[in-house]
Amino acid sequence: MKTQINSSDGQRNYMRKAKLHKLLIFWCRILVFAGFLALWQTAASFKWIDSFYFSSPLAIAKLFVHDIRDMSLLRHIGITLLESGLSFLLIIVFSVITATFFWFYPSLGKMLEPFLIVLNSLPKSALAPLIIVWLGTGPRTIILCGMSVGIFGCILNLYQAFEQTDPERLKLIETLGGNKLQKFTKIVFPQNIPTFISIAKVNIGLALVGVIIGEFLAGRQGLGYLIIYGSQVFKLDMVILSIVILCAIAMLLYGMLNLLNKKIIALWQ
Amino acid sequence: MKSEKPFVRLDHVKFSYYSSRGEVEALKDIDFSVEKGSFVAIVGPSGCGKSTILSIISGLLKPTGGYITFYSEEFAPPKIGYMLQHDHLLEWRDVYQNILLGLEIRKLKTPQNLELIDNLLEKYKLANVKHQKPSALSGGMRQRIALIRTLALRPDLLLLDEPFSALDYQTRLSVSKDVYDIIKSEEKTAILVTHDISEAVAMADTVILLTKPPCRVKDIIPIEFEKHGISRDEVRNSKLFQQYFDEIWRELQNENTNQ
Repeated sequence: MKTQINSSDGQRNYMRKAKLHKLLIFWCRILVFAGFLALWQTAASFKWIDSFYFSSPLAIAKLFVHDIRDMSLLRHIGITLLESGLSFLLIIVFSVITATFFWFYPSLGKMLEPFLIVLNSLPKSALAPLIIVWLGTGPRTIILCGMSVGIFGCILNLYQAFEQTDPERLKLIETLGGNKLQKFTKIVFPQNIPTFISIAKVNIGLALVGVIIGEFLAGRQGLGYLIIYGSQVFKLDMVILSIVILCAIAMLLYGMLNLLNKKIIALWQ
Repeated sequence: MKSEKPFVRLDHVKFSYYSSRGEVEALKDIDFSVEKGSFVAIVGPSGCGKSTILSIISGLLKPTGGYITFYSEEFAPPKIGYMLQHDHLLEWRDVYQNILLGLEIRKLKTPQNLELIDNLLEKYKLANVKHQKPSALSGGMRQRIALIRTLALRPDLLLLDEPFSALDYQTRLSVSKDVYDIIKSEEKTAILVTHDISEAVAMADTVILLTKPPCRVKDIIPIEFEKHGISRDEVRNSKLFQQYFDEIWRELQNENTNQ
């Protein structure tokens, strides 16, 4: 028996409704956003709110165009992206190496796990001042701040994922004559690639959080610096513009990893 | 292909598991031998150390007492193939890459071995699924692929650890028959562990019955359909099959009620 697709009226009707509903949701989202902007602009124009404190969409757009033209904004964006990217890469590399090491030497993993749990539940921004004292202000500190937010959780999650590999599958490798290294390369690692991608998805956001904290405290450039600087000199346009750009960056990075995730999941099924 | 020479012999093999809850004596005194080319089934109450015996023969576990001896014409330890309860085909590899797993691990991806795989796939009508993902295949097909993955390493002895128990009844009948045919036509020696009496009787030349844990060999029953002119394809319909089944069933029942 074949499943009938789009053949009966009922089915076609259902499909049409489902599609319509999806479209409706999409346009409602756009409408909410546009409505919000319009309300904000109107409120600012008619002086219902003080645009000195609350800025306005037009002022922000103007500032955006201006700062893009004189390249200053692009440089700040670039620096934040670069710092986040580096933090993220370092988190990933360092976590994979550590979690792998723990898997090969489980006693070491068991021994260090409680320390990692404590470090992971610590509010990581508390570490930032310490890092500044040790490393001074500058990109090194900011990247370390970026790493500090995600890394402990990343190691823990990855290690726990490695640990939960089906022992029967490891036995399979043994029955085929494989050693511990091959258990890792043939089973543990490839099996956990989907987990790895979802951990990465969380950590790209955390790296951004850490980098912004770092830039708040120790930056001379970058979006975090713009936010702090803007708030200190009461250039709220600049602050809100930076926040909007951060939203866009976060969305973009998340979207990219989501796409990668879908591709990998498809391969892994 | 049956010869009278023993191929593997277990002498008073003992095995105990140690855990924080105490020592568990799984195997007390296991004594039997397997002839080259024969098909031996090990049947016993659930929870007895059936699988442990296979792990010990394969060398994954060291016995706490006793000996295992392999007799072989070459001065090399026999190659052992192991089939587990689940096929464990890796979902990120296609069928062919899954079959290659053992060869990759042993660094034996030689042209001859690759040819062997192609021949096996061709012979057992699996060549058309070579590049499919395991998830696209039925349970029976997956278990046959797992067998070819095992055969790719050219084992002298095959250890089958309840390889059909995860399949539904219909599939189990047909796959166990397929696996039997493959093992016989490749002239392999095989030891099957199962809790399914009819499966043991249908496939084996010898059924080894175990006692409740700590396990000993309770009885060794030769299964002689060939002597009575019954072909393996139709054993399940024969009277003799029922007789063997009842005999083993009774002995297992006794084992379960005697305490």
